Amino acid sequence: MRKIMIIEDDPAIREELELLLRNEGYAPLPVTDFGSVSEQAAREQPDLVLLDIGLPGQDGFALCAALRKAASVPVIFVTSRDSGLDEVRALSLGGDDYITKPYSVPVLLARIKAVLRRGGGAATPPDTLEAAGLRLCLTKGTLSAAGKTVELTRNELQIMACLMEHAGQIVSRADLLDALWDNQIYIDDNTLSVNMTRLRGKLEELGLPDLIRTRRGMGYQL
Amino acid sequence: MSIGSFLSDRLGRIVLWLVCLAAAALFLYATGTQPGVLALLLAVLLLLLSATQTADYLRERARLRELESIWESLDEKVLFTECVPPADTLYERCLFDLMRRVGQAMTGAVSDARAAQRDYRETVESWVHEIKAPITAARLVCRQVEGDTRRKLNLELAQIEAHVERALFYARAESPERDCVIRPVSLSEIVSQAVEEHRTLLMQSGIRIGTEGLDRQVYTDKKWAVFILGQLLQNAARYRGEEPVITIAARPLGERTQLTVRDNGIGIPAHELPRVFDRGFTGSNGRARGGSTGLGLYLCKKLSAFLELDLEISSEEGAGTCVTLTFPAKLTKL
Repeated sequence: MRKIMIIEDDPAIREELELLLRNEGYAPLPVTDFGSVSEQAAREQPDLVLLDIGLPGQDGFALCAALRKAASVPVIFVTSRDSGLDEVRALSLGGDDYITKPYSVPVLLARIKAVLRRGGGAATPPDTLEAAGLRLCLTKGTLSAAGKTVELTRNELQIMACLMEHAGQIVSRADLLDALWDNQIYIDDNTLSVNMTRLRGKLEELGLPDLIRTRRGMGYQL
Repeated sequence: MSIGSFLSDRLGRIVLWLVCLAAAALFLYATGTQPGVLALLLAVLLLLLSATQTADYLRERARLRELESIWESLDEKVLFTECVPPADTLYERCLFDLMRRVGQAMTGAVSDARAAQRDYRETVESWVHEIKAPITAARLVCRQVEGDTRRKLNLELAQIEAHVERALFYARAESPERDCVIRPVSLSEIVSQAVEEHRTLLMQSGIRIGTEGLDRQVYTDKKWAVFILGQLLQNAARYRGEEPVITIAARPLGERTQLTVRDNGIGIPAHELPRVFDRGFTGSNGRARGGSTGLGLYLCKKLSAFLELDLEISSEEGAGTCVTLTFPAKLTKL
């Protein structure tokens, strides 16, 4: 499990972040003693540090410099200071990313994922997804089953990927829209329906007409 | 200074002189001075009087013209008293001295006001930063709430955020040079961040967003560009019509880059269009729907002017609104 160190002085945010990250499958390491952050980092060897700038005592910039001196741990600044100068300063001190509060949760998670991926190691995203006898190739944008292959549009690809990642579970329309918006496909509810119909048509071409079930009032299920 | 006003200013003095002359002439006549001698004397005295008055008039007029031209040539009018040539008369010297003291008092008052404004801005900024912590916490807590309640809470939180953001930028717009970082930014980055910031509102308004040609770089301050675009998106969402669509498209315009944000919303009545950038102007749409602050577009205009963006708006009632932002060419400033 990837360890993420949370350096945040607001207790409410710290606790909620801890909960969120744990739910997302990370191992959160909340810091409460801001005097010995470098020592704690050296001991725990986190994979990523979420760093606030306005901290009691040493500020985030100084901490980042200290952390950077000790090890090459990636640092994401998470702060309510949104001046351009702060951002430039944070990035020039070796911060890997700069997120301003109040952030939306999907954005925070996406940025964490991106920085962890850049940091190397495991967890590069798979190029293909497999579920329910289907094989989705994300880079080529093709879906194949039983020897047959169809090409998907960008929208259909993201919908299919989202359904396949949660194979067996019910995915609500709101969740699907969220996933699409995360990938910079800004569509509305009607367009989602249209895309869903087309996607079903393509599944029918593959000989799998009723693979996506509609769960009335709840969403879709693969 | 005209001759008329000069004479009327000195009327009392001249009348006094004439009365004295008449009295003296009467006295001399009574004591037996010959009328011929008397007439000569009077003529000489009158000539003397008008000569001195004319000289006074010409000197004062020249002096005033000189002062006027100094005033005209000054960029910083407050420096006037420092630039005038030394006074010739005691009276003028005293007046200049007084003027200088007035100027100093005014400078003091202005710098006090500036300091107060700076304090105010800093207080607002730090308040905004404080308030962002609880909003962030509320957002995180919100995740644990299910379904409809979560959506409603998220929308309200988004509203709070939008208002807070406007307050922050309003405070900043007074002295925008203080944190402006012009660097190359890709338009798609600006657009996706602006959409992201207003995602809750846009999604819940059922809006579809189309983008076109955003793989282009512009030289601007990213944070402010995102703010300006965010205001336009909020307006498009707030004044949407049936099946709302927002199209964000970019195209080159010579050296410059033009970004258009087009919606198919309810539009703005033609007679209100010239005033939409005025501070506090809410218009009939704003009043009908409520919740309009009249600040959004005002701030857009103000910040655009500073960033040297051209901001133009066109609209047709019932058909939609189109806002065009023209980014400057690469090397126009900084």
